[in-house]
Amino acid sequence: MPALLEIRGLSAGLQGRRSVTQVVSNVDLDVHAGEILGIVGESGCGKSTLATAIMRLLVPPQVLQSGSMTLRPGDGKAYDLLDLPENELRQLRWRHLSYIPQGSMNSLNPVLRVGRQMTDTLIQHGLSQDEAQERSIAALELVNLEPRLTDSYPHELSGGMRQRVIIASAVSMRPALIVADELTTALDVVTQRQILQELAGIRDELGATILIITHDMGVVAQIADRVAVMYAGKIAELGRVNGLFEAPLHPYSQGLIGSIPRGGGQRVQGLPGEAPSPWNYPNGCRFHPRCPHVFAPCSEQAPALLSPGNGRWTACHLYDPEVASNE
Amino acid sequence: MTPDSSSRAAESSEDEKTAGRHEVFLYVLRRFGVYLFTLWAAITVAFFIFRLVPGDPMNILLGNLARAEGRQRDAAAEEAIIARYRHIFGMDEPLPLQYINYLRKAVLSGLDLGPSFVEYPAQTKDLVFRRMPWTIGIFTTSVLLAWIVGTGLGALIGWLQRSRLSKLAVVISTLLQITPVYLVALGLIIYVGYTWRILPAGGPYARHLQPEWSWEFISSLLTHAILPMLSNIIVIGAGFTLGMRALMISVLGEDYLTFARAKGLSPFTVLKDYAFRNALIPQVTALAIIVGATLNGTFIIEVLFQLPGLGTLFVQAMGLRDFNTMQAVVLFSIFAVLTLTLIVDLALPLLDPRIRRTA
Repeated sequence: MPALLEIRGLSAGLQGRRSVTQVVSNVDLDVHAGEILGIVGESGCGKSTLATAIMRLLVPPQVLQSGSMTLRPGDGKAYDLLDLPENELRQLRWRHLSYIPQGSMNSLNPVLRVGRQMTDTLIQHGLSQDEAQERSIAALELVNLEPRLTDSYPHELSGGMRQRVIIASAVSMRPALIVADELTTALDVVTQRQILQELAGIRDELGATILIITHDMGVVAQIADRVAVMYAGKIAELGRVNGLFEAPLHPYSQGLIGSIPRGGGQRVQGLPGEAPSPWNYPNGCRFHPRCPHVFAPCSEQAPALLSPGNGRWTACHLYDPEVASNE
Repeated sequence: MTPDSSSRAAESSEDEKTAGRHEVFLYVLRRFGVYLFTLWAAITVAFFIFRLVPGDPMNILLGNLARAEGRQRDAAAEEAIIARYRHIFGMDEPLPLQYINYLRKAVLSGLDLGPSFVEYPAQTKDLVFRRMPWTIGIFTTSVLLAWIVGTGLGALIGWLQRSRLSKLAVVISTLLQITPVYLVALGLIIYVGYTWRILPAGGPYARHLQPEWSWEFISSLLTHAILPMLSNIIVIGAGFTLGMRALMISVLGEDYLTFARAKGLSPFTVLKDYAFRNALIPQVTALAIIVGATLNGTFIIEVLFQLPGLGTLFVQAMGLRDFNTMQAVVLFSIFAVLTLTLIVDLALPLLDPRIRRTA
């Protein structure tokens, strides 16, 4: 069965005066129907740019450089997201592809009532006023909000409520794919947990597929089925959450997982050095200056994303039989 | 939700509504207090500042008259006349007493601002009321038109910020905005009024007409008003355009705009309900601020176009150190500006739900 969203060779960057600085390099990723896929990485690794590119919401100086994205939302059609003209894209949005943005605190229009902000979208997508009203209330109930909140203005709601309104809006058209960018970052731990549970519940109830972008390994561990670890604009490792957390392959994933506090008196292992900025990505493997297992080919040749078996993928020369055998 | 909890929810929302109304009332009350205080402060400053200008009105006027007579000057008789008029104008008393008398008469005797000098013995009040319609007509109409045009244009060029036409519009607006209003007025008078003779560029209406309810008079009045208003609209409108453009661009960077686009709303809805409505709030405040700054431009325009408004009256009064008239004009200007600002401030809660509760 083909993937719900198929990303191939996606590169995006920042348009400078003369050249483009690449932020996301040559990303290949399949998102399967019904799964929750987490994308984790440090600040500045390009995960938000990737999410914005998937939503086709890049604004200058952000530019899309190359690649293709195919969405198969289960209506028998395949949409080439990057090729779609603006008006068709508009119809596809929310119906098949919706977005929970980073900075949800400020994502509601301060001068419109919450209900209006939900229904205007539904009406735009062809529902009647009454249907839109009904759908919005049903969506609010899905995230445990009272229907009377439709009469409130955003500033009358708490951060958690605003976040829930956004989620309710995003699921109100029952889209095939929801892209959630750092959806719990601004919230306290308790609210964060509740919202993640609600999101998982929505997936079970509506059968939605969720792509969740976060810097928080805890969020991924709690909610995701599979996880893609991003480093410096590339995918370093991809696999099921259990396998990846228990036995990470890529030295960067090992470092990340080693840096999660576990209690029991164990010292937290940090990663030495800092993540490179897009203006000076290292040659070869972009992780090699920080890698404890670095060897000769690492500084010369960029590793490809390969699978050592059982559904896991990693971009590291250590696991590439050809490179390793040459050493 | 149980029926019990739903009724409690309804009750608490009723409470919230009454609390909200109460707060709106307090807001209006406080705003009105500020209005009265500012009015008083401005009158006081105006009163004292004109009396600091060197030159005694009696000496200037009566001295001029005596010199014009050319007769042998009788110093004692002159002194007596000057003293008499000083008394009529209330200027023979110490300054603080003059000030109190002025306030008392202005407030208690129905805006009695004393006799005027320029048209003695006409009351200053009547003089100002006679001239006022011209100034209000030109000023209010042109500022409002400038605001409407500027807000619309600014919203458009902000929305299309990356287009070439938009960038050109920014350059043109910047140039127009920094041009002094009298230069624009002079340019219009010289080219449109005299060289090309498209529109009349002097006087309130054609010389041979008398004020009456006839089509001929009204159309003459309107065509004569075009150039003075246009001078104001060009300069003020350019400022409003630039302001609105900047507001639009900053709103376009807000998270709720990205979200609006992600929702698949039509560009028109995004522009109208999401970008424009939010950029409009500070733009309305800008109207209140700019109203005060543009009134003196209107005075200059009146003088240049020979309109019998408050501006020309003020210039005449200034020449004679006619304190009463100058004060009355200033008083009126302050009153007009403060009242417009008050209206704008009271209108803001209608646009911005956040002020309704928190102010």
